[in-house]
Amino acid sequence: MTEPTRRAFLKTAGLLAGATVAGTTGCTTESTQRSATGTRNDRVLGFDGDLLTALAEVVLPASIGADAGRRATRAFVAWADGYDPVAEEMHGYGYSDVRYLPADPSPAWRAQLDALNALAMRTKGKGFVTLDVPARSEVVAAALRRERNNDRLPAPLGASHVAIALLAHWASSPDAWNLALGVQVSPGACRALDGVARKPLPIAGPRA
Amino acid sequence: MTQNARTIAADILIVGSGITAALMAARLAETTTRKITVVEAGRTSTPFAERTRARERFVAYGESPWKQDHLDDQNAYGTTWGFSPSMNVGGLAMHWGGVSPRYSPEDFQLRSQFGIGDDWPYSYDDLDPFYQEAEERMGVAGEQGPPALDPRGKPYPLPPLPVNYNLQQLQTWAAAAGIPAWSTPSAKNSIPHAGRAQCQRCDTCYPVCPTGAKYSPDFTWDALVQGRKVELITETLVRRLEADPKTGRITRALANRTDAGGQAVTITARTYVLAAGFVWSPHLLLLSRDSRHPNGLANRSGLVGRYLAGHRNVNAYLRLPMELYPGINAQHSLVSKKFMRPVRGQRYLRHDLRIWESSVGREPRLRDDKGGLLLGDAMLTDWKTRAAGATARVRAYYDVLPHRDSMLSLDDSRVNRFGDPMPALAFQDSTESAALKAWQEESLRTLFREMARAGNGEILRMENSANDLGQEHPAGGCRAGNDPAQSVVNGWGQAHDHENLWVAGAPTQTTASCCNGTLTFVAVGLRTASAIARESVA
Repeated sequence: MTEPTRRAFLKTAGLLAGATVAGTTGCTTESTQRSATGTRNDRVLGFDGDLLTALAEVVLPASIGADAGRRATRAFVAWADGYDPVAEEMHGYGYSDVRYLPADPSPAWRAQLDALNALAMRTKGKGFVTLDVPARSEVVAAALRRERNNDRLPAPLGASHVAIALLAHWASSPDAWNLALGVQVSPGACRALDGVARKPLPIAGPRA
Repeated sequence: MTQNARTIAADILIVGSGITAALMAARLAETTTRKITVVEAGRTSTPFAERTRARERFVAYGESPWKQDHLDDQNAYGTTWGFSPSMNVGGLAMHWGGVSPRYSPEDFQLRSQFGIGDDWPYSYDDLDPFYQEAEERMGVAGEQGPPALDPRGKPYPLPPLPVNYNLQQLQTWAAAAGIPAWSTPSAKNSIPHAGRAQCQRCDTCYPVCPTGAKYSPDFTWDALVQGRKVELITETLVRRLEADPKTGRITRALANRTDAGGQAVTITARTYVLAAGFVWSPHLLLLSRDSRHPNGLANRSGLVGRYLAGHRNVNAYLRLPMELYPGINAQHSLVSKKFMRPVRGQRYLRHDLRIWESSVGREPRLRDDKGGLLLGDAMLTDWKTRAAGATARVRAYYDVLPHRDSMLSLDDSRVNRFGDPMPALAFQDSTESAALKAWQEESLRTLFREMARAGNGEILRMENSANDLGQEHPAGGCRAGNDPAQSVVNGWGQAHDHENLWVAGAPTQTTASCCNGTLTFVAVGLRTASAIARESVA
């Protein structure tokens, strides 16, 4: 009954989030005003778009390319925007009580984005988005100094910091898994049974 | 009865609408002309057209695809591992995994063959045609294993789900360890079948199949209702059965609507069938206590709610020197029944064996072994290193024989909106199983170590069931037998004490074997349906 276990599924809640929710949820800019304090108010569904983009350049692999990075960022925003706080969790095996998803993590993540900027101002004398990537990385590392997660990235919904959430969201996508494995598996994507007996094709080759 | 009470007359009343009820109703609709009425406490579940979206939400956030599939005040407590509060049309099988192995012949003759536990009142051969019927009605895709390990009267109705690239490598490894393993039988369409699509390996069989390739009971209910073969009454909780004090025959079922109105409903029938699973079937019998039956109906033996049975598992993750690619079809597995048919005379251990690809130990991480933060390409480079190689997951369910006091009782401290006490579960091993437990689990760990060695691999970790929580694929509570003093129903599911009362499927089982149980629950239910049809004709 537990193959793979329901808990494993809940642990990986967020898998394919970019591929699924982003495909059905729009992403709009709400305002483009800037403040004089280094914070930039390009709000993307509540997130500061410039800060989020600057953060993505630190946490996402540069090797995926700028376009893929932008897509991943948009997918993260759409995913966060689509979250329904306190919706029923999947139940079934293992416990009989009905459980509910946690509160919306986005407000804390948005505040953490602003805090990255404040920390950059405090430690580097510049706003986060104006720093070069190595300097931004130092700011992010300082913000994450208490974060452990040695074994594996958490599911994005369980991420305690926006930097981890953004990274974890991308890492849970089929494209990220394909990159890590070096082949076209696309875990979790619905696709035909044909060809499952063959070794997966390398990602550099023709599409499976 | 209130002024607005509703009365329903039926020939055959089925209480519950889970997978056993659905397929029994289908059989009865084909084999009798009686009016079949099915009463379900919950509502209809997420329509098929909405399941792609429901899957997306589950994958993205962990949301239940089956929201509001339960009644908030109708639940079980205690050791409830393996129990689901699902109370909707289709029951728990709306989110089952579809894995459909048969028990082995030994399950039916443990006392005769091994001197432990109890025999069932019928044999594997007796059940074989009903296994076949269950497989055909659900559409089970399976591969014939070695006949000595995997006996069956006819071939599987559907060709097996393919052994994918990962499982091929693991099959070779298992063979090197001396273990024949083959494609796990599953109620999933390996080819288009019964108007439903071919599996598209979405890997969310549990909890939701968006394509309809996995069998779920709603398909049967939709066909039966649209064809006017049954009357399906939802949101109606049967709370009590009443028996004629002279004849013992059940005379009526008393129910209430579970919507806001709570209207009283009375259902009369010639035949009453409890198909509400291992919790709610015995629970209803216990609730139906009266002055003549102070311990509930069908309970002359005092065994209603007792002998709850299940199994536990030992699970391991192994690193192997091969290359696997997690996600090709992660919910599909290999199965072996080699250990379900042990030699007599040896210390008793029976178990199944399942083998999966796994991503354990191969996921991305935030910090490296020295604690350094991994972001950007550093994270991806580290992940590529970790993702190389192979992890296999192996798991063995071993059977646990039930103690008489492994039981469901009424908990007066927890009541539903109508004041009915809710069920409390307390699983307990038989003396024999309790004495064997430590040795059995160590034997399984030893097997996994030997398998790792055979593949030049290593154990990453091993773990046991959290057995303080209960047992898996539970059954029992209305055990079948030939002796009315030692059982609740006879070998056909007919109550010893009430000739027109039948209990179907899981509750009647003497034991729960050492593999997934749903197929057997259904086969046992179909066997009961055959007897009901026979009596109806008579």
